[in-house]
This record gives sequence, structure tokens and C-alpha cells, in this order.
Amino acid sequence: MVAETHPHDIELFEYVENELAPGRREEIAAHIAMCSACAEQVELATAGRDALRGEGLLELPEERREEILRNLPAREPERAPGERRVFSPRLAFAALAGVLVLAAMIGILVTSNGSSGEESSAGATAADASGGGVAEATQSPQAKLFATGPAAAVAEDLRAKGFDAAVQKDRVVVHGATKQKVREALADRGPGDVEVVVKNP
Amino acid sequence: MEDPDAPLVARAQRGDRFAFEQLVERHQHRLLTLAARTLGSADEAADAVQEAFIRAWLGLPRFRGGSLFSTWLYRIGLNAAHDQRLKRRPEPLDETREPADPQDSFLASELSTALQGALNELDEDYRVAVVLYDVLGCSYTEIAELTQVAEGTVKSRIFRGRSRLAELLGTRTAGE
Repeated sequence: MVAETHPHDIELFEYVENELAPGRREEIAAHIAMCSACAEQVELATAGRDALRGEGLLELPEERREEILRNLPAREPERAPGERRVFSPRLAFAALAGVLVLAAMIGILVTSNGSSGEESSAGATAADASGGGVAEATQSPQAKLFATGPAAAVAEDLRAKGFDAAVQKDRVVVHGATKQKVREALADRGPGDVEVVVKNP
Repeated sequence: MEDPDAPLVARAQRGDRFAFEQLVERHQHRLLTLAARTLGSADEAADAVQEAFIRAWLGLPRFRGGSLFSTWLYRIGLNAAHDQRLKRRPEPLDETREPADPQDSFLASELSTALQGALNELDEDYRVAVVLYDVLGCSYTEIAELTQVAEGTVKSRIFRGRSRLAELLGTRTAGE
């Protein structure tokens, strides 16, 4: 007699691995005793497991290991997670100089235009300064990243993670995503020579 | 779960090459086995391992410890192996390959088994699952994270992979 319903693969696997609760294990064992199809699957899975577990690890030849270590590229010094950037006197000086120059420019404008023109001139200067820079830096509809390729693999990797990615002229173009999300998705690839263009909607 | 590699990883993230060398020492054989058993070629596997360690070294500053270091490294290894497989397609490159290193030829002979032949015929999802679980001894959680599927799917893939493998081995043995 063949039993009514066959157990799912997962339960048959757990039976082989002896991971089922005692009651359920007895039910599955009873089913297997009466169902030749499931009994054969269990027998095959056990044989497959035994064949695989008889295999040891392969050893990387010493020469290869040395080659890996010898060829490690130089890495830009980066901060580890949680590590704070150390105080840089050079950066602090540059920032201070910038503030002084800006203050001097505003002072010149105030003294040359008088109180009525002050607001409009200063406003226009600020708008000019921010207009080009902000549009390019933060409101740009696209951003670029570089990842280790080939491009087809990068695109496939991104598609597998739910991105709308395609290869166009050796570049990978991603639509409707942020640079940050794409960078996170490609974290395990590392920087490389494949250009990834991220286009926001 | 506490990561046994965490202290070395922290040092390697700060640029300590000696710490990274110890990580290579710890994981090289498992990474090679994973790449070789999934690619079916020891020469290509050694190249994939080299590439994986370089990517890991460069990517370490961005590793946030959300998974075990080994899981992260194996993911990189599988990607490198996948890329290595894609390189097979442009034939001229294969024709101009440098002669295999004698050490690698030794490895290749280790792979020339009935088991490897049967593994090569498995679907990639099954092959990766059985190698990670039965050969490398990874946990279901690690494999699920690595392959981005549910743990139930991992168990199902191992079960089907083992069964299919045994069928293939049986056929081969019977045919010999």
C-alpha cells in the first residue's frame, strides 16, 4: 500500500539528519516503511551524503598562497567601523581660511552696496554659489561607482538583488536606485574597473 | 553568533597585512575546496581564490560584521568562481592561457574523481548547497545567508542534490 501523502523533501532531509521530533520521526518512518518511492529517496540521499562526507579539503599549494600575499594591492587607509577621524591641523586651517575669506567677501558687499542693496546682492551671491555646485553634487540624476567585473557578472549580481540593472557599452546601468544602495549591494565585489552608472528616477 | 575571526578582521581592516595573512591561512583550503568543487577545475579554482582574497582585502574596510567573516568571504569566493566561469566563454583567452603550474596539475588530479564528475552534472544551486553543507560543514543559517534563500530551501536543495548525486554515481559505477 502507498501512503496517502508523501512528506516534503525538507522532512525527509530532517529524517536523514535525525533532526525530527520523536513523534514526527516515527510517523515519517512508518510512511517510509510503506512507500517505496520515499524509501528510495531516503536511501539515495543517505548514499549521496556518505559520498560527499568522505571527501577532504583540497590544499592550496604553498606557492599559490605566497603569490596571493605578495600580490595584495596597496589599500587606501580607511577608517574601520566606529573609528573616528583623527584631528587634522591641515584641514582645520583650510576650513578656517575659507570662513575668513567668506566673511571678508560679505563685508565688502555690505560696505559697497549699502543697506538697501545688501539683501539682494548677498542673496544673489549665495544663489549663484550654491546653484551650480548643488545641482552637480547632490541633485545629479546619476552617479558613478566602480566595481570588480566583468560587467555582465556585476549586472547579474545586481539583478539577483532586485535592482533594474543592464549592461550598456561595457558599463552597468542601474535605474531607480540610490548610489548608497548599489554600493552596499556591491560591497563584496570591491572596487574595480567596471563602471556602474546609477540613475535615479 | 560571535565571530572567531573578529579580532583578526578588525586588525586587517586597519591595514594590518599580517592579520590578513592569518585570515588567508585559516580559510585558504576551505575557499579553494568550495571554488574547485563548484567550478570543477582546480586551476580555475586557484585563480578564483586569489581573486577572492584580493577582493576581500580591498573590501574589508566596508565589511560591517553583519555576518560571519567566513560567510562574507565565501560569498566573495562564489562570485569570483562565477566570474571565472564566465571567462571561459571568450575562447581566444582560453587558447592563450599560460601553461598550468605543476602544483595546480597535482590538484587537478585530485579532482579527477567520479564524485567530481557527478558534481559537475548537478544544477548549480544543488552543487553549491551540498558542497557548503557536506564538504565544508557550514550551518543552514550560513548557507541561507550566502545563497539568499530560506533555510527550508537550503534543506530541500541539499536533499535533492545528494539524491541526484547518488543516482549519477550509481549510473557511473554501473557503466564502468
